[in-house]
This record gives sequence, C-alpha cells and structure tokens, in this order.
Amino acid sequence: MRAPNLFRIVCAAALALLAAVAGSATARAQAAGDIAVIVHPDVTIENLTLADLRRVWLGDREFWSSGERITLLIRAPVARERDLVVSTLCRMTEAQFRQHWIAKVFRNESPTGPKIAYSEDSALDQVSRLPGAITLVAASAVTDGVKVVRIDGLLPGDPGYPLR
Amino acid sequence: MRSPRRPTGPVPGRHVLVTVLGLLTAALPAGAAAQQPEPPPAVHYPSLHISGFGDVNFSGVNRADGPRNFSLGQFVIHMASELSPRVTFFGEVSFTARSDAGTGSPSATGFNAEVERMAIRFEDSDRLKVSFGRYHTPINYWNTAFHHGQWLQTTIARPEMIKFGGQFLPVHFVGGLVEGSAPANGLNVNYKLGVGNGRATVIGRAGDAGDSNDSLAWLANVFVRPDAVFGLEAGGSLYGDTVRLASGREIDEQVVAAHAVWNREDPELIAEVASVRHRDTLTGQVTWSHGYYVQAAYRLGEPWAQWKPYARFEHLGVAAGDLAFASLPDLDQATFGVRYDATLFAAVKGEYRTWTRGSGSDRRHGGFVQIAFTF
Repeated sequence: MRAPNLFRIVCAAALALLAAVAGSATARAQAAGDIAVIVHPDVTIENLTLADLRRVWLGDREFWSSGERITLLIRAPVARERDLVVSTLCRMTEAQFRQHWIAKVFRNESPTGPKIAYSEDSALDQVSRLPGAITLVAASAVTDGVKVVRIDGLLPGDPGYPLR
Repeated sequence: MRSPRRPTGPVPGRHVLVTVLGLLTAALPAGAAAQQPEPPPAVHYPSLHISGFGDVNFSGVNRADGPRNFSLGQFVIHMASELSPRVTFFGEVSFTARSDAGTGSPSATGFNAEVERMAIRFEDSDRLKVSFGRYHTPINYWNTAFHHGQWLQTTIARPEMIKFGGQFLPVHFVGGLVEGSAPANGLNVNYKLGVGNGRATVIGRAGDAGDSNDSLAWLANVFVRPDAVFGLEAGGSLYGDTVRLASGREIDEQVVAAHAVWNREDPELIAEVASVRHRDTLTGQVTWSHGYYVQAAYRLGEPWAQWKPYARFEHLGVAAGDLAFASLPDLDQATFGVRYDATLFAAVKGEYRTWTRGSGSDRRHGGFVQIAFTF
C-alpha cells in the first residue's frame, strides 16, 4: 500500500518541478524580449503608469515625487529601446521627437533635453551613477546597481507587460 | 628548522598604522576606497547651452505691404543654463534687419538687437515654479509655442493678432510668473499666474525699463492636455492692465483668450480667439475688439513625409473709437502654403496670401518663400 502512494508523491513532485521549470523558462523567454524601465537606485518610486512614463519622456514631468530632478537617458537612434520611447510612448516619429525637445528647451519649459547613451552598457552605467536618472534597457541586460520600476504594476516577464 | 613563530601579542606601532590607514580611508571618497572610479557629477554648474534660429525670406506682392524681394528674417540666439538642480536661466536675443538703416544722425544701424526673453526660474516641483524676467506673454498659444523660431512654426508668418511689433495683444511681459502642472487624473492641468509691467506707452512694446504708470498688469492662463485624447491641448487666459498711452490718456485693458490645438502632424489644427476690452478712464467709453485665426496642416505619409501643406484664415476686427488701437486696421487674410523639411533642422516654406487691411481697402496678394533653420 505504501509503495503506490510513494510513487504518486514522487510523480506529483516531478510534475510540479517540471511545471515550475517550464513556467520559469516561459517567464525568462518573455523577459528576454521585454524592455525594462530602470532608474537610479536612490529613486524611491516603485511603479509608474504608462501615462506617467509618457509624461516623463515628453518632459512634462521633471521631478520624482521625492523632489529629485529627473535625468532622462535615451539610447541613440536605431536602438530598439529608443524606438520604444519615441514611437510607442511618445507616439512620434524620430523627427517629431527631436523637434519636440528642441521646442521644449526653446520654450524654456526644460533646461536640457535627454542625454544620449550610445550603448546598453553605457546606459546601465550612467543610470547607476546619475541621481534621478531613468532609461530603458533590455530586461535581460539589467544588472545590479540599478532599480527596475514596475509599469502599470507589472515587471518584465509578467504576462501583459506593456513594453516589449 | 622551525620557522619563527609569528607574534600573537600586540605589536608595537601596529595600532598607530591601523589608525593612520583608517583616517586615510575615511578621508577618501567611499568609491575610491573601494577601488571604483568616482562617479561623474550629473551636470556642471553653470551649464550653458547655446543654440539658435535663422531665416531668409523672399516676397513678391502686388502692392508694397512689408519687405519686397529678399530679406533677412530674425537671427536668434538662445541660451539655457542650469545654475543649480533647481535654478535655471534662459535668455533669447534677436537681431532684426532695419528698413531705416543708415538714416538719421547718428545713422541707424543695420540691425536691431533686442533682448526678447530673459528669465531666471526657481523650481520647487512640477507643481510650483517661480520665475522673474522678460517673457512672451503667456495669454496666447502661438506666442509661447513658437516664440522667435520660424523653423518651429509651420507657416512663414505669425498670425496678425500676435505678430511681433503688433498692437492687438501684448507680445512681451516684464515681471514675475508662477507656473506649474499637475496630472489631475489624466487631465494634465497646467497653470501660469503673473504680475508685471504690461504695455509701455508705445503699446507694441513692454515696459522694459519700468512701468508707464502705477498699475501692475496681471495674467492667468490655464490649459489641459488630457491623456485620453493625446495631442489635444485646450485652454484660456485672462489679462488685465491699465495702459498709459503716449498722449497721456489712460485705458483700462482686459483680454479674454482661448485656444484649442490638435498638436499632431497628421493633422495639425490650431484655433485661437481673443477679445480685447478697452475702457477710456476719462470718458468711460468701452470698446471690444476681436481677433481669431484657424490653421490646419497635414504632414503627408511616406514617401512624401517631408511635405506639409497648410492653410490659415484669420480676422481682426477693431472697434471704432478705440483710442489704443487707433492706428490698427481691420484685417481679413487667407494663407495657403506648403512646408518642405529638407533636413531634420532646415525647412523651405512657400505660401500665397491674400488680404484686405481696413474696411473698403483693395485686396492684396503676395507670394512668399522662406528658408528657416535651427542650429
């Protein structure tokens, strides 16, 4: 009587392990294509809505709720992360995005436009060093020293994560 | 041979070495002590950024009404500088060709240099920013969206109601401004409140060197940019002042203005209306003058995305007997044109305008070309 029970328990455990591994692999696969929003570790914010994020990248929001000035870091043109900011978040073409920021500075609405990061490593490095900094990087590239912010309550890899 | 035993007791001078090392370590930045490169500061203060705008124009009209053939537009330099994380400076200087160059004694220079904007701003948060200086009066969308950057605006010319050197609305304002914005559940409410000198005795100019009377001008501007209708901006403004004219007469002035803008390229729609109430303080006579314009433009799709045709209709109706606007005629004008963005930072615009200035006046026509750029 004991042997079949033990067999069932072992089988159930194996199945559960398999499911967990499969689930984890799926999450990893999703996270691999996702773009993470990362900030300097001292930024106290945990979650942003997509609308908040759009406001940040359009320069309409210049300060974190802690009072620190936001420093925008954007990848150079052609990078997927930049395309996501320009097309998906700001709903503009590259030309419109540049014109928007020239106008923003010219209107004295913002002292400066976004800083450029020419590589993923540079983006990660600068965000880890510049107080108040924010940028987008591939979720698979996120390292220690930066903080990943939830978007609409979701992290990269979560089903329904909006930035991919 | 046994190796000599390491001493286990206190070593003379060891505690001194530890103390010195500790002090040295404490004196170094933590990053350096950990053998990591020191993080660079985010911004060096003051951080000065200089850029500018320029334009070259050509016009052909059936009757003289402004420059003919080639003319230089404004050469505009602007400077933005962060003085600290919460204090910024902005300056804008223009050079404008004079039609009376070389005349008079001493002879007039070829270009007028003008401080168009100069402001220092203290920023507490997104909700509260306080600044002092000279501004483009924020009671008109065009005045604060495009300033002196001809490259920024779709058309060649500004609407008549807010043209530089014009009288209908006060283009410049010297004083203080409180401004801010709040998400307001996705409505994105922005506000500006200001007090300043208002118009000078020459009403097309601001009171740069001081007010012309004891009365301060005031303004309030509110607009929204709702998340739900991305691209839409709508708002309104109030402005009040007592203006002393060159004749010495004083006029109470109130301006009510509103705008709605669909701020996308396909299409771009801008509509503004402004009404100016003047009350002669001597006779009590009240007049209302009105102005509006509607502009529509459309950025074509690929492969014609560099082209943007546009049209604008505008009207100025000046009340008879308005002392302040005695030299300002009515205007009805239609503009049709196309903008070609040759590069990301330079555009060529060509437009046809037809207008009447003053009731009963002949209709005039003109063709205009402008090359506008930023650098």
